[in-house]
Amino acid sequence: MNRRLAEANGSKIDEAVSTGMQVIKEYSPDDDRLMTLSVGPQHPGSGHFRFTIKVDGDYIVYCDPDPGYVHRGEEKMCEYRNFIQNIPHLERPVIHDSANITYSYSLAVEQLVGIEVPRRGQFIRALTSELDRQVYTLYWLAIYGIFLGHSTMFMWPTGDRELFIDLLDALTGARVTHAFNIPGGVRNDIPEGFKQKALRHIAYYEKRLEEYEDIFYNNPLLRQRTEGVGILTREDAIKLGVTGSVLRASAVPFDVRKAEPYDIYNEIDFKVQYMRTGDCFARAYVPFLDMKESCHIMRQLLDKMPSSGEVRAKLQPNPKGPAGEAYRRVESGRGALGYYIVSDGTPRPYRVKMSVGSFRNMLALPHLLVGAKLADMPSIYWALNYWPVEADR
Amino acid sequence: MGQDSDKASKTTNGKLDKTNNVNQAQPPARPPSAPSPVTKPAPTTTSAVTKKEAEPPALEKGIIDTLVKEFGNKINAVYARPLRIKIVVEPKDISAVAIFLRDSMGFDHAESVAGTDYPKDNQIEVIYHLGSYGTRELEGHIMALTTRTSRDEARLPSLINVFRSVEYHERETYEMLGVYFEGHPRNERFLLPEDWADIPPLRREFRIKGR
Amino acid sequence: MASYPQEFRFGNFVASIIWLVFWILLIVTLVVLPLIFVILFYVPLPLADGEVLTPYLFLSMVVDPTRTLPILQFLMQTDLFRVAVFPGFTYAALIAAVTIFVERKFLAKMQLRVGPLYAGKIEGILQLIADGLKLVSKEIIVPSGADKPIFWAAPIAFVASAAAVTALIPVAPGWVVADLDVGIIAMFAIFGFFPLIELLFSWASNSKYPFIGGLRALHQLIAFEIPFILSALSVVLLAGTLNLTGIAEAQQPYWYILFLPISAFVFYISALAEVERVPFDLPEAESEIVAGWLTETSGMIYGLIQLGTYIKLYALSALFVVLFLGGWAGPQVFPQELGPPGEKTPLIQLLTLEGIYNPVTANSIFWFTLKTFGMIMLMLLPRGINPRIRIDILLHTGWYKLIVLSFINIFIALALVYGGILGPQGILTSG
Repeated sequence: MNRRLAEANGSKIDEAVSTGMQVIKEYSPDDDRLMTLSVGPQHPGSGHFRFTIKVDGDYIVYCDPDPGYVHRGEEKMCEYRNFIQNIPHLERPVIHDSANITYSYSLAVEQLVGIEVPRRGQFIRALTSELDRQVYTLYWLAIYGIFLGHSTMFMWPTGDRELFIDLLDALTGARVTHAFNIPGGVRNDIPEGFKQKALRHIAYYEKRLEEYEDIFYNNPLLRQRTEGVGILTREDAIKLGVTGSVLRASAVPFDVRKAEPYDIYNEIDFKVQYMRTGDCFARAYVPFLDMKESCHIMRQLLDKMPSSGEVRAKLQPNPKGPAGEAYRRVESGRGALGYYIVSDGTPRPYRVKMSVGSFRNMLALPHLLVGAKLADMPSIYWALNYWPVEADR
Repeated sequence: MGQDSDKASKTTNGKLDKTNNVNQAQPPARPPSAPSPVTKPAPTTTSAVTKKEAEPPALEKGIIDTLVKEFGNKINAVYARPLRIKIVVEPKDISAVAIFLRDSMGFDHAESVAGTDYPKDNQIEVIYHLGSYGTRELEGHIMALTTRTSRDEARLPSLINVFRSVEYHERETYEMLGVYFEGHPRNERFLLPEDWADIPPLRREFRIKGR
Repeated sequence: MASYPQEFRFGNFVASIIWLVFWILLIVTLVVLPLIFVILFYVPLPLADGEVLTPYLFLSMVVDPTRTLPILQFLMQTDLFRVAVFPGFTYAALIAAVTIFVERKFLAKMQLRVGPLYAGKIEGILQLIADGLKLVSKEIIVPSGADKPIFWAAPIAFVASAAAVTALIPVAPGWVVADLDVGIIAMFAIFGFFPLIELLFSWASNSKYPFIGGLRALHQLIAFEIPFILSALSVVLLAGTLNLTGIAEAQQPYWYILFLPISAFVFYISALAEVERVPFDLPEAESEIVAGWLTETSGMIYGLIQLGTYIKLYALSALFVVLFLGGWAGPQVFPQELGPPGEKTPLIQLLTLEGIYNPVTANSIFWFTLKTFGMIMLMLLPRGINPRIRIDILLHTGWYKLIVLSFINIFIALALVYGGILGPQGILTSG
């Protein structure tokens, strides 16, 4: 494994996917040779998302993403509810990574209103964030497996996710969409025996991660299908503004937890995992490395948590702060999730803008698909860590 | 698709006003030239102590000084907190400032583009949050590049040739707020349904019953 | 489904049974028996043991055991028995049915699940019947622009070809439906039908995704037929005959897999590709082209194609067993006679199947079924391990690597024959 990884590193970084651009220049979009396929919402390989592709034989020459099937007007809804009432509906864009999407919102609101979160609350918040990161990444990995036809890799992560969903269920009361983070901290304290249970689950899970590596990442068929496919060079990654694991797979070691540490992340010791090749295999492998790193982080959080204390700051009803604006971001499963909140002195935000990782990564989809083979379409598409519901908000 | 854009630009002229009541929210009084009266704690800690706006930290002060030296009074720095800087420019200068920020200051991508509707000022503010992946010192910084345009005739030059990453964000701002970006190849509806024939949703031109 | 179950009352239960018996008797005496006699009036009856086999004779064998066994022996020698029951359709369909169920359970255990659990009292054993009934009861949607004659005919042709392949497989010495002198060539000729049927069906579906799937099926199946034939050719070189029974018998001392392991490997990979199992299930790649050439199938058409696929799987595993694993060869584990030796009463005769039971045949069936089942499990295994392969890697493998390997193996086979080790005058040939 390490030997092959060393060979792949640094060898193809400057190879641009250029064949596609030559092909598209030869044909007009209405050419008879091209077949238009709608990889639409009614497709086992697309999720709640539609993109139209034109195919010449086996090569894709044109791609146009068409999101909006799950657009619910989250940002508009925020303007009609106060800061606390916004939490339940803001979780819905990513139901199983809900701790991260409300974490960023809570940080921004705390900055606006001027709340200090107690230390134990900060630790629990970070712990929930890491647990949800695992839950989301495992689900993403499961769907990546089934897109490539690997049914075992669909069942195993979905089953192992239950370990963390169990923990979250015990902690927050809900399996997904926990509504646990609020501005000011978390709602409740952790239950008895949680730490032992969590350590047990994490130990079992780390053994399972080794098996994933055996059956999936070291599988020669998978390597053949994903290595060298859909290469995103470092310059393109920065120019397109992608984020998260897609960025880290293209040799940019950027992680919001290290670049701009929030809460207690500056006390936690962890490394930013990244790879240099920028192909689909790197984009599939970086989340796996992130998961391993996340296990270390969770162990440190459980160790360093203060043994007692408040978990939530006491707030007045309808908290409000002076007029102003704030932009805070956290590292979610998809990448940097930022909230821009404008407040006008009332209990309701004036404007909330969510800058989500999926929406930013969507820009890489036409860039990578043009010139790729049709058979690589699911692997390129899902490797961009795109969650359709979150991109639509 | 062309018809959609025509229809949307017609409505931004105020001809089709859906309801009589404008939302009663108070926008912050923020004319472009006044410094912000906001006193907020630094973003890295969540301290509840509200202090007077401290001297901007050295790095941020350096950035603002470089910009002012380059562009003079075209730049209005609204605030310069640790890791966050906000400047306001006129629409005609925004391309030049963006190019300068990208090439000389190291902000190489735009993280988000947001539009906010201020009916009290009769203006729409479009704010570009620029980040830096390549420069080490600017890693956690976000430069908020802001410009304002009139609500009735909302046109702005597009920054797509400067920062490629604003493509979908500007398109979304177009359809949600009706701001036409000149130079953007596709000012079309993106997230809204194909048969949307109403005012841009994020404008504050209607009131929702019961809220 | 939403009705509440009524309380069980024994009297009602007995009454319903009597009511059922009454209706059965009524319909049989008034409708079925006259119908049988009308048919028998016109259809000439066969001779059995010098007597005309009338229904009375047939029914009387229930009470007279001395007449049962000759009749059963006679029936077992007819062609109908061979085609319909063993080694023909019923045998193949039973193995296919067991394969489907075992595959689901086997994969489930590998994937940390349980598989079918609720249909039937023991671990979901009736799941297959439930699925079959479901498929039969579903509506068959024919797309409006589809080419209807081919759309209806292609699945039937698919199952027919698969059944034709199983007709050539010898299960025990003397037990084969069609004993052709050119058995192997006939086998490959029938296998050549499958890409054609799949392409016709995908074209008749008149839709984009089936079109892509059909093209992929065509490319895949044609690419793997050549290494398929070449690897079987090396076996023919060693055995000296094209007849499948002859090949199986020529492996009496040593199985060919010992001499031709590369050929067995190439045959195994080609068989996986021919039957479209993971990792070669491109023609119906779910995440890329919806369901490939099967997109427009629904209801019983889908059921027929699945049946055909599993019968093809059985046929290929059986072919592997015949070519490389010695067919039915195995140590004799069945006793010479089932009951106590000597004169037996007619009832004991009936129970011990005297005259019908042949220890060699029983032994052959047992070992053949065991080996075929082992091969089927080996073919099911890659589904739990591998992702799907891509079409260009597949064609590259099929056209370059596998053909080279099979040529290498032909040279090995030629060397063995000319070296006098195997082949017609070989040291290790049986007799």
